[in-house]
Amino acid sequence: MSLSRWREILRMRFRSLLRRKRMERELDKEFRFHLEQQTEENLARGMPPAEARSAALRMLGGVTRIQEECRDMRRTNHIEDCLQDLRYAARTFARSPGFAIVIVLTMALAIGATSAIFSVIDGVMLRALPYSQPDRLVSLFMNGGDFPKFPLNPFDFRDFRDRARSFESLAAYTRRDVQLSGSGQPVSLTGFAVTSGFFHVLGVKPLAGREFSRKDELPGSSHVAILSGQLWRSRFASRPNILGQKIVLDAVPFTVVGVMPPGFEHPGNEYHAVAYGEPVDVWTPFVFEGANRGSHYLNGIGRLKNGATAARAQGELDAIMTQLGRQYEQDRGWKVLAIPLQSEIVGRSQRMLWVLLAAVSVVLLIACVNAANLLLARAAIRQREIALRAALGARRSRLVRQMLTESVLISLTGAVLGAVIAVGGVKALVSLLPANFPRASDIHVNLAMFLFALAVALATGILFGLAPAWQGSKTDLVRSLHEGGRSVAGGFRSVRLRNSLVVSEVALACLLLIGAGLLLRSFVNLLRTDPGFQPERVLTASVSLPAANYKTSETVGRFYRELLARLASTPGVSAAGAGTDLPWTGYDENAGGFTIEGKKPSRGQEFHARYHVASVDYFRALGIPLRSGRFFTAHDDKDAPLALIVNQAMARRYWPGEDAAGRRITFEDHPKEKDWMTVVGVVGDVKDTPASDGAEPAFWWPLLQEPWPYTEMSVVVRGNSDTARLAVEIRSAVSELDPNLAVAHIRSMDAIADDSYSASRFTLFLIGLFALLALSLAAIGTYGVISYSTNQRSHEFGVRMALGATPRNLMAFVLSEGMKLAVTGMVVGVLCGLGLGRVLGSLLYGVSASDPLTIVAACLVAVVASALACYVPARRAARNDPMNALRAD
Amino acid sequence: MYKLFRRHSKCMSRPSDLIQGTLDLLILKTVSLEPAHGWAIAKRIQQVTDDALQVTQGALYPALHRLEHQGWIRSEWHATETGREAKFYSLTRAGVMQFKKELAQWERLSNAVGLVIRMV
Repeated sequence: MSLSRWREILRMRFRSLLRRKRMERELDKEFRFHLEQQTEENLARGMPPAEARSAALRMLGGVTRIQEECRDMRRTNHIEDCLQDLRYAARTFARSPGFAIVIVLTMALAIGATSAIFSVIDGVMLRALPYSQPDRLVSLFMNGGDFPKFPLNPFDFRDFRDRARSFESLAAYTRRDVQLSGSGQPVSLTGFAVTSGFFHVLGVKPLAGREFSRKDELPGSSHVAILSGQLWRSRFASRPNILGQKIVLDAVPFTVVGVMPPGFEHPGNEYHAVAYGEPVDVWTPFVFEGANRGSHYLNGIGRLKNGATAARAQGELDAIMTQLGRQYEQDRGWKVLAIPLQSEIVGRSQRMLWVLLAAVSVVLLIACVNAANLLLARAAIRQREIALRAALGARRSRLVRQMLTESVLISLTGAVLGAVIAVGGVKALVSLLPANFPRASDIHVNLAMFLFALAVALATGILFGLAPAWQGSKTDLVRSLHEGGRSVAGGFRSVRLRNSLVVSEVALACLLLIGAGLLLRSFVNLLRTDPGFQPERVLTASVSLPAANYKTSETVGRFYRELLARLASTPGVSAAGAGTDLPWTGYDENAGGFTIEGKKPSRGQEFHARYHVASVDYFRALGIPLRSGRFFTAHDDKDAPLALIVNQAMARRYWPGEDAAGRRITFEDHPKEKDWMTVVGVVGDVKDTPASDGAEPAFWWPLLQEPWPYTEMSVVVRGNSDTARLAVEIRSAVSELDPNLAVAHIRSMDAIADDSYSASRFTLFLIGLFALLALSLAAIGTYGVISYSTNQRSHEFGVRMALGATPRNLMAFVLSEGMKLAVTGMVVGVLCGLGLGRVLGSLLYGVSASDPLTIVAACLVAVVASALACYVPARRAARNDPMNALRAD
Repeated sequence: MYKLFRRHSKCMSRPSDLIQGTLDLLILKTVSLEPAHGWAIAKRIQQVTDDALQVTQGALYPALHRLEHQGWIRSEWHATETGREAKFYSLTRAGVMQFKKELAQWERLSNAVGLVIRMV
């Protein structure tokens, strides 16, 4: 088809649509011209004028029909019909604005909420990660026995890198925060030690400079660093000649060899986790030193070759591990776990998001049911008008199409409003998101959300419009057009349809109520469980001692002893301590294998527990209770016999039924007397997160006896009253001792505890909100239907009253009608609610899915709401003057 | 005398008729000589065929409108010799090519029919 022809066709179509009046006039004119020509010809033939004209008319034939055919040739029928329907629908709604407003608002709320949740899901789960070909990236872990997801060992990793064929490239990384000193205040930077090719695996090129090379991994190589775009901008004012500059990290000069672009997202890691999307300031090369295959602390990441799958790669790495296990004792029995990066990042929050989407869909469904009910009622009122149109020749499909246009118009208007609500909703959601929610920064309002809202509007418009349109277009012409027809609107089937819609509404609302109730109980249970420590009025801070200046445990120990002494003597401080791995801040799977005096491990089993370091007053500062024995004292130093404090989980596992105080363990294979460590005290358990099943076995070394110098520790200060100003005290105490040290992550334990509850609280808040919304909508729906049917039956009630029924009788009658529907809906909802356990799964805590208390409470709420909804129409029916009722209709 | 009628069909879709195609050809040919209005086209066809073909209005005007909306002809309003305003149709560039195509089709068809008729 040539371009010019298309131009002509489009031009004609436009004219047909937009210049209809002119085209009609032209059509008229054309036929009149023809008529005149024919009349002239007749006159010329000799006919008298009057006959000439009528003969001409006869020859012309049915003008109207021919004109209709000409109109058909315009090929714009469907569009014209659609426009006509829209105009008609708008007019009918303008006539009853209250009705239209109610439905539009309901749909707007429902569509807005659904679009907001979709936006969150889109940003977190559907959007690809900002790396090249992110579906080929996998996270690697070790998998062995008690530890299904364990970090990698550096030398195992290096062997993977050399031998694996399924990967295009492999890299590993581990958290290594450093302190930047030199110009200005020393500041603690979030950093990672990465192997060469780390950025290459992710597919991101440096903004300037280069990546680390294999040479940088060798021990003794010169110290190099790569800065993040944000750090370059904030700390170095985007200096153009930053490459080659020396910066002092942990009291050692490093040369800057590269700068990463500002949008670079850290892929997330376990253990001292930095969540995906949180800023990383600096990267240093990971150096392979020594040959120890026993310690595991690397996160692995790899890019699969084209066509390789994670499962196959995992199998290949398993085979390599078996080979290594033959060579090295410590690698025996370990396997590898390969998880696609996206599911690793998003995995934990997936269930919560799907539950939220399900809940908001229930609300949407209830809104649709409400709309359908209202439209059904209205279609019943419009029976006469519809019958008239059918009598004039409208086909059923045309009527159905016209009513569907009305419902789609409602839902589209609702969608426009809903989009506005959704924009605000997304902003609110993002601000309410729990701490460390994965990919929170990727959630934006964008085109996808608007398209989704549009699609939902179209789908729901057709969904809730179909039944009323089908019902409404069914016309019994005789009955409807007959004056004074006193039919129950629409007949029996329509009433049944509306009743079943109400039942489904109540069922859905009940379902959501049960879900919200279960989550509420879970949250309350969570709050009530004893955290194991006392977070009130406790401030914590992170202090890092650069290895260059603090080479031995003695220097480290001395520093902390001084610092803690200073802090303890500050007025307003009741206890000050230092230790590693604060409660509820993430855990470290470091686990030492040891021997217990007098016990032999069974075959294949090993004794292991997590290890930490604690100062004298650490437990006191945190409020962790002592169960037996004693806390550390200042005498537990390098010269004293080795002491340990264990937690109850460890005591229960390895010394069940006995008092662990006084028992001994050792890490040496052939221990001398001085190698035995004695348990001097047992402290209460602290779980990893409030919702964990139980605490892991763990023990603490005294700070002064730590087996190697710990560079980074948390300082814990318990105050008498206001903890905010203690931050100043901590900073000044540290800078007095060593002005080159930075104090970082100053947080109160209250805030940390609060963060740990935030996920549960977030889900509860949203589901509760949806449940309330659903309940209100269901109540409105019930009210609408009962009210309508009461109005229809007012004549019948008039008769009853005349026959002796009291107002109370009538009220009871109406109420019972409504409650019958509500109770049926409740029963259906409860039956469905019994399956909620599988849906909610790990979101529940301490409460079973079929908890009778919750179910009964939800049912009560639903019953009360329904009763209230039925009350008003019932009273109205009762108050009605029987004379009016009998006379009406 | 053959009257070209518009086949009356329930659904207003294009009837793929031999007659309809022929009418299109006649209209296109007439209009290709010079722009003309509907009345003139019908009269011209009647004259040239010596009253053998009479195009009724019920067939002519829908055909004219269809051809216009398909982009083969375009219309213009201007005055006739007698001073009245009439809607004159003329061929578009695409219409010229379409006319040639339909002409070739018609000739092929009539040759074929001729062969069958003349067979022994």
